[in-house]
Amino acid sequence: MIQIENLVKRYGGLVALDHLNLNVKEGEIFGLLGPNGSGKTTAINCMLALLKYDKGIIKIFGEEMSPDNYDIKKQIGIVLQNVAVFDELTVYENIDYFCGLYVKDKKERRKLVEEAIQFVGLEEYTKMRPKKLSGGLLRRLNIACGIAHKPRLIILDEPTVAVDPQSRNRILEGIQKLNREGSTIIYTSHYMEEVEQICTRIAIMDHGRSIAVGTKEELKSMIKTGETVTIEAAVLDMEQLKNIRLLPHVFDVKYEEQVLTVRCTGGKHNLIRILNHLQEEGISFGRVFSELPTLNDVFLEITGKELRD
Amino acid sequence: MLHLMKYEVKVKLFNFNILFWPLVFPLILGTLFYFAFGKIEEADFETVQVAVVKEADSREGQTFLSFLESIETDESKLIKTEPMKEKKALEALEEKKVAGIYYAGEEPSLTVGGIGLEESILQSLLESYTNGKMTMENIASTHPERLGEASEQMADYKDWVQQVSLGGKTTDGNSQFFYALIAMACLYGCFIGFGSALDLQANLTSLAARRCVTPTHKLRLVLSEMLTSFGLHFGNIIILLLYLRYVLQMEFQGEILRMLLVSLIGSMLGVSMGIFIGSIGKFGEGIKIGILIGISMVCSFLAGLMNSSMKDIVERHFPIVNRINPAALIADAFYCINVYDDPNRFARSLIILTVMSAGLTVGSFFVVRRERYDSI
Repeated sequence: MIQIENLVKRYGGLVALDHLNLNVKEGEIFGLLGPNGSGKTTAINCMLALLKYDKGIIKIFGEEMSPDNYDIKKQIGIVLQNVAVFDELTVYENIDYFCGLYVKDKKERRKLVEEAIQFVGLEEYTKMRPKKLSGGLLRRLNIACGIAHKPRLIILDEPTVAVDPQSRNRILEGIQKLNREGSTIIYTSHYMEEVEQICTRIAIMDHGRSIAVGTKEELKSMIKTGETVTIEAAVLDMEQLKNIRLLPHVFDVKYEEQVLTVRCTGGKHNLIRILNHLQEEGISFGRVFSELPTLNDVFLEITGKELRD
Repeated sequence: MLHLMKYEVKVKLFNFNILFWPLVFPLILGTLFYFAFGKIEEADFETVQVAVVKEADSREGQTFLSFLESIETDESKLIKTEPMKEKKALEALEEKKVAGIYYAGEEPSLTVGGIGLEESILQSLLESYTNGKMTMENIASTHPERLGEASEQMADYKDWVQQVSLGGKTTDGNSQFFYALIAMACLYGCFIGFGSALDLQANLTSLAARRCVTPTHKLRLVLSEMLTSFGLHFGNIIILLLYLRYVLQMEFQGEILRMLLVSLIGSMLGVSMGIFIGSIGKFGEGIKIGILIGISMVCSFLAGLMNSSMKDIVERHFPIVNRINPAALIADAFYCINVYDDPNRFARSLIILTVMSAGLTVGSFFVVRRERYDSI
């Protein structure tokens, strides 16, 4: 559905997109995951033909995207990072205005606006102006304005920034519902939990490049970490740490602020093996956690830094 | 298009920041002008105290005394005479108890202690008398049969002292302030234009970005925004004109259609200036608003908004400034309609305004029609 080949965008000396390649298939929820400044929004703005770029090809629905390709634009819905609504119009009028930029027929538009209001759960607020809405409700209005015309492709750029957990869950559920109803979704975020929760395929971005693409399982299988064991231990010396590192499947050991972090490759019984070893060595320990790899681990292993850095 | 315009009008009408400067502020300023100048006018027309020194028993002196008496007894109470000996009169003048001394002799004359409105009134009365006398003498020598008719006309001095324009319309010294005010209001359309620029360019606001990615043609968005802004601001100026005419009782004696034409072009100029400045350069919103206020106020100041003689000073020393200052051109066009009755000057002002307005509109159009940006 979307093909991006060797996309390069420079701001003076800064390379915002560095030969970016992406391929989004119809029907998927495609996540663009990366820290702030990794090029997610720039990539979206290039896709939407808002930004000039230095090199590369962008094709949507098989056609090259350009500012005057209205056939493509007609089938796209956009929810921008910043809430983009008119403060002077009511909730209903805002949705009607933006829907009207896509749908000319009044009757059809009225129906679509009603459905969008219902979809985001703003039935009780239709006559209110945006300034009276809470942050979460405002985000829902922002989404409604972008999806009311039932687009084939919906691009959501960090739609849950500064949103309360209740609204966030509602938004995420809504996105999945839109996808079930037939829309292809591109979802950008720097919240890995959200991306893991809803995206069927994910591209991890850093410094304007796509550093890994795949399903979350595929991404996790790309890295060495199969399990991360975290243990509270009062005192550990260098010799004891060295011995832990020698245990089977263990490839990385860290001890900071009385917390021992042990990274293991895939394999069974890692946790039991480590705990047995600590008991045998007479090392007293407190709380114990075991985690399967996250997208943060994927990012960490590929880039050497945390996703939240 | 109607769908867009309907909501754009609503957005602008409900935006207090957009509506305050182009509409509310000129109404407030007009009201303040009205009250301030009303008081000045009342003060201006206080009766002028004048001493009269009878120099000798002469026919000429007697006629002049009769003339002064006729003015004093008139209901306008322009002057109050007091017969005095010369020494006492000079003392009274020194102590500013009187504004001047009329000497009623063979050659009536006037001595004043300073320069001002009261002194000017006394001077103009004396000139009226001497001019009238000369006219009468001429008539007596050329058409003695019409002397009676001429004397009757002379008796009605009000026709002599009423200030009229070349076109025969009554002039009001304060009208210059109000024409400059209308000019300022026209230029303040720049705030509406500035709002439009923000809503049209994806590199300025998210709202504009959202509008730009829709299948609605950019030119349609630009056109609807410009038409809405022009229309709305033209409405603002009409409201101001109606307020000045019917609430503040300003006397606009010119053709209303010509006044509307000037208002329309002035509104377009203000709005397109706002779009143009809003669209160019990489300054922040606050700086651009500062630039807009600065341009509007400097232009209005030079057009006589704060000092009625400023436009004349500029005309004497830097006439080119008055030819390119939109506020001066708008004020001048209003003056032409209501006072001068000078079609050539009116046409010149209107042509320059139209060229500037068209230039800014086309320039703004080319700036805001951009569809792809270097950075957002």
